[in-house]
Parts: sequence; C-alpha cells; structure tokens
Amino acid sequence: MSSTSEQPARRSARQPAYRLVVAEDAYLIREGIRSALERDEDEVEVMEYCPDFKSLLRAVERHNPDVVITDIRMPPTNTDEGIRAAASLWETHPEVGVVVISQYVSPHYALTLFEHGSAGRAYLLKEHVGHRIQLMEAIREVARGGSVVDPKVVDVLVEARLRARNSPLSQLTKREREVLAGVAAGQSNAAIADSLFLTKRAVEKNINSIFAKLDLTDDNTVSRRVQAALLFLAEAGAEPGPEEE
Amino acid sequence: MRVCGHSRPGGCRVPLNSSAVSSQSELESLVDIDVTPRDPAFGMPLRKSDLALGALAVTGACAAVAIVATGGVAMKPTAYAAVLAANILTFAVGGLLWRHGRPSSAFGNLLLVEAFLLVVASLSGSPASALNLIGILGGWAVAVGATWLLLSFPGVRLRGSAWIVMGIATATVLLGELPLILVSPTVRDLAAMGRCTGICPANPALAFDAPNVAHTFGHVEAALQAAWATGLLVYLAAHFVRASQPRRRLVAPVLAASAPFVAAFAVKALLVDLAGVPTSSWVQAIFTGTRILFPLGFIAGLLFARAYAGEALVYMARRLAGRPPVAAVEQLVRRVLDDPEARLVFWLPRRKHYVDRHGVWVELDPACSGKTWRSFGHGNTRVLAIVHDPMLGEDPELVEAVGAASLLALDNRRLQQDLLDSVQALRTSQRRLVKAASAERRKIERDLHDGVQQKLVALRIQLELALDLIEAESVAGRRLAGLGARFDDALDDLRLVAHGIYPPLLSDEGLVPALHEAARRSSVPLTVDLQDVGRFPEEHEAAIYYCCLEALQNVAKHAGDDADATLRLWRDRRAVHFAVSDDGVGFVPSTHARGAGLTNMNDRMGAVGGALGVTSEPGEGTVVEGRITIDAGDRTGRDVVHV
Repeated sequence: MSSTSEQPARRSARQPAYRLVVAEDAYLIREGIRSALERDEDEVEVMEYCPDFKSLLRAVERHNPDVVITDIRMPPTNTDEGIRAAASLWETHPEVGVVVISQYVSPHYALTLFEHGSAGRAYLLKEHVGHRIQLMEAIREVARGGSVVDPKVVDVLVEARLRARNSPLSQLTKREREVLAGVAAGQSNAAIADSLFLTKRAVEKNINSIFAKLDLTDDNTVSRRVQAALLFLAEAGAEPGPEEE
Repeated sequence: MRVCGHSRPGGCRVPLNSSAVSSQSELESLVDIDVTPRDPAFGMPLRKSDLALGALAVTGACAAVAIVATGGVAMKPTAYAAVLAANILTFAVGGLLWRHGRPSSAFGNLLLVEAFLLVVASLSGSPASALNLIGILGGWAVAVGATWLLLSFPGVRLRGSAWIVMGIATATVLLGELPLILVSPTVRDLAAMGRCTGICPANPALAFDAPNVAHTFGHVEAALQAAWATGLLVYLAAHFVRASQPRRRLVAPVLAASAPFVAAFAVKALLVDLAGVPTSSWVQAIFTGTRILFPLGFIAGLLFARAYAGEALVYMARRLAGRPPVAAVEQLVRRVLDDPEARLVFWLPRRKHYVDRHGVWVELDPACSGKTWRSFGHGNTRVLAIVHDPMLGEDPELVEAVGAASLLALDNRRLQQDLLDSVQALRTSQRRLVKAASAERRKIERDLHDGVQQKLVALRIQLELALDLIEAESVAGRRLAGLGARFDDALDDLRLVAHGIYPPLLSDEGLVPALHEAARRSSVPLTVDLQDVGRFPEEHEAAIYYCCLEALQNVAKHAGDDADATLRLWRDRRAVHFAVSDDGVGFVPSTHARGAGLTNMNDRMGAVGGALGVTSEPGEGTVVEGRITIDAGDRTGRDVVHV
C-alpha cells in the first residue's frame, strides 16, 4: 500500500499540517498511533497526547485542534468516554473533527457517535490505525466535515440488513455490497477499486447501480454519498423494525 | 409475667419479667420439628392390671350377690343383691374408665375403693354376727366414701366447705351409729333393703343393753343423716352455681345422677327414721332406682368431657385449616376453653424460657405443678404452653385437645415458614451465584479487552507500520500482508470469544442496545420491537439477554428455513418481559423432550426468580416468553451516572 491518495492535500504550504490532539490511555496503542502519524509528519502535527477524558477536553481547549483522535474507552469510567467527548465537542467546538478509535465492532457505538449527526465524525477500529490510507482518510474526512465508519463495522450492518426480509439491500449483488461498504466507510472510488481489485470504472458502475437500487439521488460529493449510505445503514441497523416491511 | 398454679398459696400471675426479648420470627423458628409420637394411647388398650381389677370387681359382685341372697338376713335379698351387684360393677367400671381416661387423676382409684367397700358392705347379708357387723360398718363406709366422692369430684381431695359436710358425715357415724352399736342388741343395716327381718344376728359389739339410750342415739343419728344429706345437696348446688363452664360440664351429670339419691337419703332420714312415717313400696323403689343411678354420673361426667374435647378438636381443626396467624389461634383457644384470659406461650429453647406472642417473657413456675398451664411439644421438646384458668385443670381432655390442635397449627405454620425460608434462601444463594458468575464473566471480558486483545491490536498496528516500510510487492511484503490478514482473523476470533463471554454492550448500555446488537448478528430474519425498559440488576439483564439469544438460536436450529422471528422486550409496572416468537414449524411441547436450550433458559430465569413459558403447536410456530418481576429499587441508576 502506498501513500498515494486521490485527495489533494487541502492545506496550503503555509499551514502544512492538521493539528491533532490524541487521547489514548493504553501505552502500546498510543505508541502505535504515534508511529503511524509520524509517517505523515508533513500533513499532521500532534499537539498533545492525553491519557483520559478530562485532559482531552482541556487539551482541546488549549490547542483548538482540527482533529481529535480519541480512544472510546478511557478513564475515569472506562466505558464510552470517546463518544461522550465527541458529543461534548459537538456543543463546544463544532468545527473540531473527531475520530473515535475502538476495539468494538458493535455498530451500536458508531451509531451512538452519529446520534447528533455524522458530520466531522469517524469511527475506526484500532487495529486499522496502522493502515495509513484508512487513518489519513479518516483524519481528512472529519477535518472537512465528512464522516467515516470502519468497513468492518459497516459489514456488520450490511450483514444485518441482508438478513432482514424485504430489505432493499438484499437486492444488491455481493460485489455491490462490498462497494457500498467501501462507500459507507468513506473510501474514495480509487481506494475501493484498490482494495477490491477492480477498475475505477467498474466501481463507478457499481455505485450508480447501488444508488439506483436504493433509490438515492445521485450526488457527486463524497461526504454526502457517505452520509446518505451511512444514515440509511444507521437507521436500518438500529431499527430493522416493522415500519419498513 | 409469672404464672403460678392456684394450689400455691397466694401465687397467681404476678407480673415479673416483662421485657420484649423476641421477635415474631424467633417465635416462628424456635423449634426443630421432631416427629416423635407423644403417646400412642389411641383406642386405649386394656392393661393387665385393669383386667385383674375388673375380674376382681366381677368376683366381688358375685360374692356380694351370693352372701346377700343366701344369707337369709336381708329384708329383700334379691333386690338388695341386685342393687349391690349393679353398684359394685358400675363403680368398678367407672374406676377403670377414669384410670384410663385420666391417668393423671387418682379419682378412678377412689371409685375402685368404693366398689371394694360395697363388697364389704354386702357382708351385712351374712348370718354370722361378726361378719354381719363388719358388713353394717362397711355400709356406713360406703356412704361416707360416696360423700367423699361427690365432694372431691373430679379431684380426690376435699377443699373448704366440703370439710363441713364431711364433718357431719363423720359425726353421724361417730355420734350416731357407733354409740348405737354399743347399746343396741341388734344393729341395722344402713340400707333398708339389707336390714334383717325376724331373727337378726346378735350384736357382738354390744356393751350394755339400753333401749332408751339406743332410741336417743337412733334419733341423733337420723338427724345427723338428714343434716349430712342436706349439707351435701347444698354444697353440690352451690358448687355447681359457682363453677366455671368446663367444670359444670363435668359436674352436671354427676349432680344429676346423685342429687335424687342424696335427696332421697335426706327425706328418708327425716320422714322415716326421725318422724316415723311408715315407708311404702314406691318410696323404696325410688330409693333403689336412685341408688343404682348414682354412680353412673361419674362415668357420664368423664364421657361428656371427652366428647366435648373431641368436639372442640374438630371445631379447632376446621378453623385452623386456613393456617391462621398466631393471634387467631390464641383467640380460638380462648373461645374453645371458654377462658377469655387463656394465653398461648412459646418456648424458646435457646433462651430456655417462654414468651407470649408479642415476645414478652412469661415465667411459668414449674413448682406450680402445671395446674394453670400445660406444656405441649414433641417428645421431650417443649414447643408451647397454654396458660389457663385453674378450673380447666379439671378438664384435661379439653386442654389436651386444644393444645394438640394449637401445636399442629403452629407446626404447620412453622413448616410452611421453614419451606418459604429455605426456598428464599435457595433463591438468594442462587441469585448470589448467578450474580457472581455474571460479574466474573464481565471481568474476564474486560481483562481480555484490556489485555490480550489490546496487545494484539497494538501488534497489528505495528505490523501495518512495518508493512509500510517495505516494498508491497516484495516477497517479504506479501508475506507480511498475508500475516496481517491472518492476524485479523485471530482478532475476530478473539473478539467473538470475548463477546460470547459477556457482551460489553450489555454491561455498558443495557438490554436494548445489546439485544439490537444480537439481532444484527442473528442468522434468522428478525423483527425487533424493543421498548426502552431502562436498566436492571446485571444478573437480570444477563438472564433476559441470554434467554433471548438462546431462543433465537432455537429458532435458527429448529423453526425451519422459512421462519421469521420477532423479538420483543417491554415492561409494565410489575415486571420486565421478553418474547421471542416465530412462525416456523413448531412442536408438541408435551411430547417433546426438553432440550438443553430450554433447560438453560429455565435455569437462567429461575435463578433470578423469573418465569419462563413456552407455547408451541405443530405448524403454528413457537413463542418463548419470560418475565422478571421488578423488585422495589431494582432499577439501577446506571443509566444516569455520566458526569
């Protein structure tokens, strides 16, 4: 995997890097994140590493970063501090993007994160933090108000939708589902093509077909596409209830 | 409170040690049930000694008949022999019945003594002068003995004014009959029928023949006889009027049977012996009849008391069937004993004293010989005592019956309480176990998450970083990439294991998110209808969660490929409910051996005091329903702790 990215760096040379605050209480993971981010020193600059919820909020106050990367589970309660930090920042610093990193595959946490809206929020599994493209995609997306969900989490949602009877998703082909997972995860067409060993054209065809089947209006903006897919999945995932039968 | 028998001078119910020492629960748990039969005397088998006494009485009666009938002395030998035989047998039977019915009472022995005296009295029918005199004296002894019986009944001792009557009787013998014997050439039997006619046997005790003196003593004797009988009647009547209800029950038959005879005795003394009015045959007939009737009262009294006790037992048993509280049992005891101050007191084996139903210490003085209280228990184990009016000591059958019924009622209550307690204890310990197991699983999940899983995740990150450093298309690059994929699989497996041990969502967020998550993972097409039920104790949430999971797995395994399932969760004021229903093939619950899944569900719900129901019919699908009652304070505040 190379560092090639379709997205041109939005930041100009004068303002070279996304300013980051990272919150992670586990040393090993924190070191992993540090190493991963050091690869893209020209694009990201970590202002502070925090070990818990309170110090994270203080660091945001102090540095006013572009993006916060936060563990979902930290002291003091070790439950969902990351998500609460995101909710809190929604009120106090709406412009700050938040990437919540987690070991939980359960879509519940991702859906909770997007409760207030998905703009500027990403949910990434920790094991994918080392993946340069996924990490940087997430940072860039949330910095510009987009959203990203880890493909593995999307898989769970898609799987759940497929089992529901009469689901529009069940009309999708296997390939289309894979592509949709990529789309929902905020991957660019090129990244999807890369990971699925497809041509970019094939990915575009699949996406058009998906949108047609799901009855979504065509929109070129990546973040809108992701949002639409995500919200659909979120709603469908949270309540595969009788109302859509 | 000290309770003492009335036989003890001045000692009755002196408040002493009133301190509330015990709670109702201690009352309820004070005795280990020991089912030793107390006394297997039901049906009253005859003892050898009683058989011997009976045989003796029959022999005595036969001897009396023989003496009187063949002696040629008695005025009416046949009638007198018959009366004597009837009297002897009646007293003997009465004595034996009393010995059986009230082994604690010596009254039966008194009756037997009376029977013996009657045999002696029959000697007055003998022509031999010495035997004749002994018989005549025996007749007086019979009269004095009968008086004692009436005065002491149902006990054996005389009290108070009874001694006055007894004094008159004694005076009659000492001042009337004995001087008469000394001065009269012929002595006469007390019973008119037994008196000699024609040639009487000579009086061997004659000191000097003084007809005038004898005449005077005859009058003194008759007057004293009249006073004796009248005194006895007055005493019996007064005693009856003053008697308590249970004593009246006992005394009434005796009074009814004896009063005519005693009255006849008085009238005869006054009219015949004193005023010299000639006797007629019908007066004689009345006298004979009342004399035969007289001892039957003692038997009737005993039988009446026993019958009443039996009736009381039935009455109590009927009312105790509803397992009334202790206070109600006490009320019942009071009503049946007709003693408004009767009390039930309970033995505390550990403290070694009695308490009343309010837990107040009641001291029962053992020196009081149990006349105002009677204890009941199993074998040698005391359980309770009835504190009652001293008069009830004369109605032991009734107290015994009431005590036995109370004991039974209390035992029943205690057994029921013990059962409830042990079920409660079992449930508590089961719940503790489930809670501990639940907490342990959660801890293991946390440890996995924060330990091994985190280390593997960190390694996975490092692996990816390393992958970045080398050429992707190189051999090493491809190796590492393959390693990464396998690493991901291992992580997925570990995640599944951790989730299976205890879903973190369940502990963190509660039932609804955890069940939504489970629904997402379910392999069955599923409709989910989950009401926001809030949070409950961990073991309750776990029980419902795993039951739903188990039920969904059952749907996947048994309901058939086309089955759709519905998972519902809701709560009302009393309980939180869940239901997993499907439209699959169903089964016949009665013929279907309970599978491990169903057993698991039952165990889980049972452990937290919940209930589980399964309804199914072939072709109609299956519904698994469960509920857990919400205890007050069960809902935890876990959903609002966030700072």
